[in-house]
This record gives sequence, structure tokens and C-alpha cells, in this order.
Amino acid sequence: MRLMVKPINQYESFPPASIPDESVGIGLRAPHYQEVLETDLNLGWIEVHPENYFGGGAHRHFLSEVRKTYNLSLHAVGLSLGSDAPVSEEHLRRFKELIDIYQPFNVSDHASWSASGNAHLNDLLPLPYTQESLDKLARNVERAQEVFGRKMLIENPSTYLAFKGNEMHEDAFMNRLAEMTGCGILLDLNNIYVQAHNHGYDAWAYVETIEPRHVGEMHLAGHIEQDAGDGVILVDTHSRPVKGDVWDLYAHAVGKIGVVPTLIEWDNDIPDLATLAGEAEKARKILSSLRKQGSYASHHNQIPDQVRDDGVSNAAK
Amino acid sequence: MTGLVMQLNEFQERFKNLMLDDPKALDDPPGDLAAFCAEGDIPLPKRLSVYRNNIVGSLTDLMVATFPVTDKLVGRGFLELMARSFILKNPPEQGCLSLYGEGFAEFVEGFELAKSLPYLPDVARFELALNKAYYAADDAALRAENLAELPPEELGDLKLALRDNVHLVRSRYPLTAIRDFCMAEVQDGTLNIGQGGEMLMVYRSNLEGASVILQADEYLMLEHLGQGEALGAAVESVLNEHESFDFQGFLQKHLSLETFKALAANA
Repeated sequence: MRLMVKPINQYESFPPASIPDESVGIGLRAPHYQEVLETDLNLGWIEVHPENYFGGGAHRHFLSEVRKTYNLSLHAVGLSLGSDAPVSEEHLRRFKELIDIYQPFNVSDHASWSASGNAHLNDLLPLPYTQESLDKLARNVERAQEVFGRKMLIENPSTYLAFKGNEMHEDAFMNRLAEMTGCGILLDLNNIYVQAHNHGYDAWAYVETIEPRHVGEMHLAGHIEQDAGDGVILVDTHSRPVKGDVWDLYAHAVGKIGVVPTLIEWDNDIPDLATLAGEAEKARKILSSLRKQGSYASHHNQIPDQVRDDGVSNAAK
Repeated sequence: MTGLVMQLNEFQERFKNLMLDDPKALDDPPGDLAAFCAEGDIPLPKRLSVYRNNIVGSLTDLMVATFPVTDKLVGRGFLELMARSFILKNPPEQGCLSLYGEGFAEFVEGFELAKSLPYLPDVARFELALNKAYYAADDAALRAENLAELPPEELGDLKLALRDNVHLVRSRYPLTAIRDFCMAEVQDGTLNIGQGGEMLMVYRSNLEGASVILQADEYLMLEHLGQGEALGAAVESVLNEHESFDFQGFLQKHLSLETFKALAANA
């Protein structure tokens, strides 16, 4: 018998997950790990960036603990799906390992790019909305879906820059991407609001252009205003409560599109967990109020018959 | 109007180069890129600077978090100055940023304004090792009972690998004393950095990066094992230089520190 060293996988897989459409979740960041485990905040689900869990140690430890209580969505920021180059197979492999273990109900990234040549700029950079960009993004989304063996959701980005050479608007670009690849759309209402302001577009018209059947998740976050020349540029900082106009846009979107799992994101100047949970509670109240008014559109034909006051579906219990 | 057409690879390459250029370049972006971008009420440099600030700002924050001892030693302003300069020359190469900062010690070595602090590169090396230990993959540790199951005659040929969270760091400076001094609530008194160097094993303990000071013989032993040498040959090499090397003591200590990877029988 020869002896050699080989790595031993210590992780056990969780069962596959799905959640009711009415669930409102929060993005979980390291400062809240312990508190999320110790506090009952009526959170519907948890979203994390898979890139923070590619290694082991503390982050994996807490993710495994959190997953015992909550369903997860893995929301990537590092695939750079909009790059001219093919998507990184190594990044896909490491992401897939997490999918296999944690069995998220949603898997997503953005309609943006970060990598060019050997540099991976850690931001969600804007794409010219051309057929060439669409084809390359679709190629990378298809490859990712092939590796993951499942449908992805792709999020509309916040943008500060638009291009004279655009051949279509972003809303049409997102619809076409979904039609070409079978991916879903992760509709970020704050991003729509921010880019609409920055490029002089109508956020409400954007929401109405998006095909409801493609939408699988909605995001909400806070932004800031920065003086810029004679105008103001909105910057998606994820550092503030959700603005009133963005709540209105969310209610409009739920009315037009239907209800899908909703997430509150807060990544900078992170508040205490109760404040974050309070933002989630606002979203639940909006959903509950729309439900009472009967102003939900039917989404995926899966709207449950009865919804409790806290927004949790009876059908899913 | 050639500005209206730009291939995706060309646009991405130009945009990346601009983001990694001197910040003043944003005020006057290259003509073809400027012609490709729409402007509206908000001037183009303001639009570009949002991206630039996101990229450089978040990486700077990341480096401040990775190098807390360096931060205390040189102050936030100076660390940010070094970090920004490092980032523009060494942008991340992958979408996972946990280990970003690799190469910073060598960068600090060549950083003119830091030449008066000769211990700084080793401090950075130490902090990078702690960061790697913190994020290392969860591999299983070798247990004493695993070794006991082996036929004694096979021990000499056994290759013991170091766990992914284990890193060896040596310095002419007292790195752990510097860290303890800097990270104390109050820095009162002085620290003699000429008190002698350290040989360290950096590893993960209770989910945190940790370090232990090693004797010269055990450091050498771990170095040999880390290079893939078999146990028998490694012990022989160490004994050549340190005839009092206590292998049994070494083994017990490092089984209890969980330094080695678990063995897997391979029939």
C-alpha cells in the first residue's frame, strides 16, 4: 500500500431549495454573520457574493451555518460576462463547487464587464448596447449556464456612461439577452432609476418594456447624488436606505411584472442588522398592500391564493 | 464619425488603460474613446471618475483591511498612497479578490519613500501570509492515530504535506513583536526592532490567521517537508545542520498544531 496526501472534501451538500415569490431577503456581509445566526428577524432569504466564499475558513464556516436556517441566492460580481474574451473557466469551476454544496434557489451575475487582458477591474463596467456586445455576453451566459447545469439570472447594471454607438436601449438589450440564452432577468430597480437619471431616460418606461416572464428576482438599494458640472450624477453606492422614488418604481414594477423574490442590498457604511431588516419590512408592507388592493399582476402563474399579512405565502408553507 | 464605431475588445482595452492611467488622464480622455462616449448634462470626466473611484477606492479599502499592522506603522495616508500606486501597476488578475495584494511586499521594497523603514517589506509579507492563512481552503488535518496505523518501515518514505493554511515566514526583524506592539490598544514605550529576527509558521487557528515562532531546526524541517521531501530524507538534512534536532518533539508539536494534511490511503 502506498500512501499519499489528497484533499478531503469536508463539506456536506444541502438539499435543493426554492422559496415563495413574496419572500424578501437581505444581502449578507461579514459584519452581520454572528447576529444573523443569533437573531430572528423574519428574513425571507439571504444573498451572498460567491467570490467571498471561494476559500475556506471563517466565511465558509458562517455560510454553512447560515444555510442551515436560510435559503440562499448566489449573486456573483466576478464572472465578467460582458468581456470580449470567453468567461474564466476557473471562476466557473469554483462557483459551481459552491452551487453544488449550498444549492441556491437563484444564481446570478450582471450584464457588465470587468476583465480586459490580464486586468480584472473590480467594478461592473458599462457595455455598449450593440449586437456585438449582445452576442458576446450571450456566449458567456450560455457557457456559464452549461457549466452550472441551470438557468442564471442576469442583472441590469448601474451605469454612469452611455455610448453614441448604442444600437438599442438597455431594456431591449436585457429582453433580447433573455430570449437568446434562456436566462432570466434580475431587475434592479435602483439601477434602473440611477441609469435613467444619468442618461436622461424614463425609468418607468424601462420597467414597462421589460418582459414580465423573464424577471426572476428584484433588487433594491440606496444611491447618492454627486455634483457633476451643471448637473447631478447618481451613484449606486449601496450605502443608504432605498430612496422614496425607488420604492415607487418598485411598486410600479410589481404591479406590471408580478411579484418575485426581492432583495435589499447594503454593502458600504453597513448599518446595524435591524436597520437592514427594517428595509426588508418596508418591501414586505408594499407587497402586502398591493396584494390587498389586488394590484399584483400574475407572474409565472404562480401567485399563491393566500398570502399572510407578513407576506409569506400559505401555499409554500 | 469613426467615433460611433468601436469594437468591443478595442473599447474595453482603451477603457481599462484609462482607468489604470494617471488620474489626470481622465480630464482629457483619448479622442477616439471620448468620441465613442455620450456626454449629456454630465461632463465625460465626471462620468469616468465614478468608475475610477469605484475601482481604486474599493481596492484601496481592501488593502487597508489586509495590512492593519502596516497601517499602524506608516499611517493611513501613507498606506493609501502606496496602495494606489501599487493598484495602478498591479491590478487584480481575477474576479476573486480575497488574496489581492500578492507582490505588495516587493513593491514596498522598491518604494522610494519607504526606504527609511527597512522592516516594512517583511511586515507586509507577514500580513499577506496571515491573509492567505485566513482564506485558505478547508483541508483535513493529519492526526496522530493516522500515523500510528502506518507500518513503521514506511515512515521514512512518507511525504507529509503542509496544510493550505500553513506558510513559513522568516525575517531579520521581530515581526510578531512589531505586530503585538502595533495592534495593542495603546502604543506606549518603544520597541527595539534590532532585538533579533524571527522564524514563523503562519497558520489558521479558530478561523483566524495566527503565528507561532519556530526554532531554526523545526523551521528548516517544515521547509524541507513543504518542498515535498520524504520524512526520512528531511530529518537527515536537518540533522546535518542541527545535530540536536528532536524529531519526536517536532512531530508531537505539529500534530497538535495540525500543521500537516491528512493522509489518504491510495491502494
